[in-house]
Amino acid sequence: MALTLYVAAPTPLHRLHPVTKLGLLAAFVVAAFMVDRPLLLVPLAAVIAVLMVLARALPNVRRLRVMFLLVFFFTLVVWTFFYQSVLVPTYGGFLYGLSTAIRLDTFLATGILFLSTTRVEEVAYALGRLGLPYTMGFTLTLAFRLVPVFFDAALSVVQAQRCRGLEFGRGGVVARLRRFVPVIVPVLIGALRRADRMAMALELRGFNSGRPRTTYLRARAGAADVLAGTLAVATVATYVVLWAAGIGTLAAHP
Amino acid sequence: MTRATAGVASAVTVRDLGCTYAGATRPALDGLTCELPAGGLAVVMGATGAGKSTLARCLTRLVPCFLPADLRGEIRLLGQPIDGARVGALAGTIGMVFQDFEAQLFSTDVTQEIVFGLEHTGVAPDQIPERVTRALAAVGLAGFEGRDPTTLSGGEKQRLAIAGLLALRPPIMVLDEPTTDLDPTGRAEVFDVLGRLRAEGLSLVLIEHDTAAAAAADLLVLLRDGRIAASGAPARLLADVDACLAAGVRPPDVCRVFAMLGLVEPPLDVTAAAERLRARGLVPRVSDEPVSRPAAGSAIIEMRGLGHRYPDGRRALADVSLSIGRGEFIALVGPNGSGKTTLAKHLNGLLAPTEGRVTLEGRDVAGLPLETLAQRVGYVFQDPDHQLFAATVAEEVAFGPQNVGLPAAEVEARVAEALAAVELRERDADPFLLDKGARQRLAVAAILALRPDVLVLDEPTTGLDFREQERMLDLLDRLHAAGRTVIIITHTPWVIAEHARRVVLLKGGRIRYDGPLRPFFADEGLAAEAAFRPPEVTRLGRLLGCTPLSVAELVAWIGRGA
Amino acid sequence: MVVLTAICAALYAAILIPFKVVPLIPGITEFRPANAIPVVCSFLFGPAAAWGSALGNLIGDFFGGLGPGDLFGFLANLLYGLVPYAVWEAVTDAPPVPEGPLASLGLLLVMGVAAMLCATVVGWGLHLLGFHPFTVLGTVVLMNNLVVAVVLAPFLLAVLYPRVRRARLLYRDLLGPRRPLPRWRAALGATLVLVGTCTAFAAGELIAGGRWVAPWAAYETASRRLEVGLGLLPLLGLAIVGLALL
Repeated sequence: MALTLYVAAPTPLHRLHPVTKLGLLAAFVVAAFMVDRPLLLVPLAAVIAVLMVLARALPNVRRLRVMFLLVFFFTLVVWTFFYQSVLVPTYGGFLYGLSTAIRLDTFLATGILFLSTTRVEEVAYALGRLGLPYTMGFTLTLAFRLVPVFFDAALSVVQAQRCRGLEFGRGGVVARLRRFVPVIVPVLIGALRRADRMAMALELRGFNSGRPRTTYLRARAGAADVLAGTLAVATVATYVVLWAAGIGTLAAHP
Repeated sequence: MTRATAGVASAVTVRDLGCTYAGATRPALDGLTCELPAGGLAVVMGATGAGKSTLARCLTRLVPCFLPADLRGEIRLLGQPIDGARVGALAGTIGMVFQDFEAQLFSTDVTQEIVFGLEHTGVAPDQIPERVTRALAAVGLAGFEGRDPTTLSGGEKQRLAIAGLLALRPPIMVLDEPTTDLDPTGRAEVFDVLGRLRAEGLSLVLIEHDTAAAAAADLLVLLRDGRIAASGAPARLLADVDACLAAGVRPPDVCRVFAMLGLVEPPLDVTAAAERLRARGLVPRVSDEPVSRPAAGSAIIEMRGLGHRYPDGRRALADVSLSIGRGEFIALVGPNGSGKTTLAKHLNGLLAPTEGRVTLEGRDVAGLPLETLAQRVGYVFQDPDHQLFAATVAEEVAFGPQNVGLPAAEVEARVAEALAAVELRERDADPFLLDKGARQRLAVAAILALRPDVLVLDEPTTGLDFREQERMLDLLDRLHAAGRTVIIITHTPWVIAEHARRVVLLKGGRIRYDGPLRPFFADEGLAAEAAFRPPEVTRLGRLLGCTPLSVAELVAWIGRGA
Repeated sequence: MVVLTAICAALYAAILIPFKVVPLIPGITEFRPANAIPVVCSFLFGPAAAWGSALGNLIGDFFGGLGPGDLFGFLANLLYGLVPYAVWEAVTDAPPVPEGPLASLGLLLVMGVAAMLCATVVGWGLHLLGFHPFTVLGTVVLMNNLVVAVVLAPFLLAVLYPRVRRARLLYRDLLGPRRPLPRWRAALGATLVLVGTCTAFAAGELIAGGRWVAPWAAYETASRRLEVGLGLLPLLGLAIVGLALL
């Protein structure tokens, strides 16, 4: 079962330097924060959509389409009713909700674009280049690698307990929650048994060997990175100008 | 020889090695002395708890660096003493592979997996690509660069783990049950790799349960209670059937046949054994082989035109029709990915068919409530640790009966009955602390407490030593004799031959064979499709013109002293 | 430590993912039985659990969408995994298992504070970004964390703690005994955590609901993001200072 969003495809976006990818992600996020007016967010969304197509990430959007819709409508409804108040619908809230909904979907799309083109090793590498200690980056990689292992274990445990008559979809919240005890305990104990072996296997591969560590993955920035960097800077600049000119902001609605 | 073992006579030297884990009262190892010549293969065998893994961990310094213990005696690798060394510092000298391949992989990319160890041992980046290519080629994974290990089969994962260590170029490798969790195809792949490494001059220490792997060794070491019960040439040690059994090791069928016929110095090769027997006129006389007819009980489960497609569109089962009679003992076999487990999970509604239907005594399984199903068809998962969670053995067994709403007195009666059936007396013990065999039996008890008519077990003997396997199989035989329908998924040929009455072979999601055992094993092609060879005694019998299912059967046919 | 952190993170993420399909607040939070993991692991594995739950939450989002809100998710989950063991250990030497009414009550209190601090940080951060109102998000996360902590955590601890202790995997076995803390420091720290958390949560509800403005954050923004953002900052600061003392 494919859990991760990473799309193994040889597209120019995949080949970008990890730091460039992280930079693009940050640029889009910053840009989306600069304006509130819903219409002004559309060009940004269009840029991201084009990159999505380039990165062959559209299947992921389809996979998470429910999420896009839910985020959109939920945000709209919540702000309409909870804008500076509790459970009182306001027009200002509606407008604000609309722009936030678009913004959140933009973030969602940006995140998917990033995850579709970036392996966790690259994330760890980029963060390392930006000053994160190696151990943190490695822990992230290791955890990421273990997720499918524990996920499969959890599925097995759920089935095994069903065979003993454990019915999950019945009863109130408390009763339902309590049924997770027979699921979580075996998964956790199994993980602990594995923890020991894993720590040993790490040392056997030279972790803590006492020798200085070398780094193999040394991504090199190329012309594409310059192009992507320019795109990032241009996007941010455009939106900062819009913001500075006061064009994109919504006034406070009392 | 391409590795750096030239000039050193001995790869591993162990002198008077003793080891007592911190907090333990009894030593795990006591007075071990042995020596493995450079480029040799040593196989270490013995029952669970005999000290096999402890020995492996001492060689790699995991004991005492990782698992605190009091160590005595001396270990030398390539002539150099290793006391005081850190585990990581020995990475280029000795590598170690475990049974649990998932715990040995740390990356989401095959190339990165190999790179990991190289980076940590300070290999210069410009040398890394060549090392990666070579290591992957050595384990037959060339072309896997860039793949996500999650998408690999078990055998491929284990070979990747081996490659990760090989890249560090250790002249010695220790392998602690590297194939226990693998299917026959994966096992063959790993043994193939080991053969190649040996040809390249690596010194190997292999811990194994299967004597077939020991035949080719330079040195066989039988451990028993932390001491060496016997060590020497495999042919000599394995011929001593009683000594093997005493050490908890299943002796090769050929050796047992020879021992029962009073012959000495059995060859470890089936063809040679057949020639020796024929030369002595010891040929079986059978005119009519008894056919193990499936029990003639009425059908309890029927599958008609069953098909299953996973949500991603892959077809797991196609057009499976199967009638399971009351009181049968069926072995469900087939290579990995053939649909065995998928099929079995349809028996009690864990999976719903996407085509066709499954009926239990004429009623559609899909319409039956979970409590009813759980009490009719029990399913024991391969890994007992996937279901044990309670604080005590008794609570564990009571869980099922409580779930289906039985009254307290009845629950208590069921617990006592189920624990008696599996011979577990420690009612208040913590399941977490039981050994693997006892946990496996506890998992069976937890299902038995629901008194199912049909019992499905997924690889019930995997990972157990020979004594525990026998104990589990005795239990299944008793349950079968008491009228239960037993269905096991297994890869172990002798388990099928000696216990099942009917074989269902799946291939590519379809039934390839369904019938009694003898015709199945007589057809070498069929067994090959199941990715295993018939049991050794059956192969020996085939060379002599019959199809025995057990050593006792062949010996009876030959006739004692004939 | 590395392995334990990774395992805590992976466990948390693996149990989070199946629940991505039933979101409480879409894209931000789900009904999460997995939220018992950081609390339980905290008592067992200490710092490894704190980092593990922060990373685990992040990884969970790797599987279903990443965004700027994850910065606060990271911080909130770090605190969620940090508060239980840090506060418990400062106050008592007793094992964190629900044996007897006093221990049970203490456990619930500590878990409640952790749950509230986590909810406050998430609600505060995402309101500051202008994504979701504190009144909704803070409340929902708190309810979810509290229910899970009360219903699941004590049972899990009762079964797991003795076993982890026997396997010598408790963080105290790995890190050695803690340095003794002066009583005043422990008391002050715990008090600050408690007071900071409760006042920050209350302020969040009041400011976001339009019923109060903190005198040090008297702005007027459309979504009240600065009012909430700056209004809660000093109160959250109290809780952080308290934690630093422990």
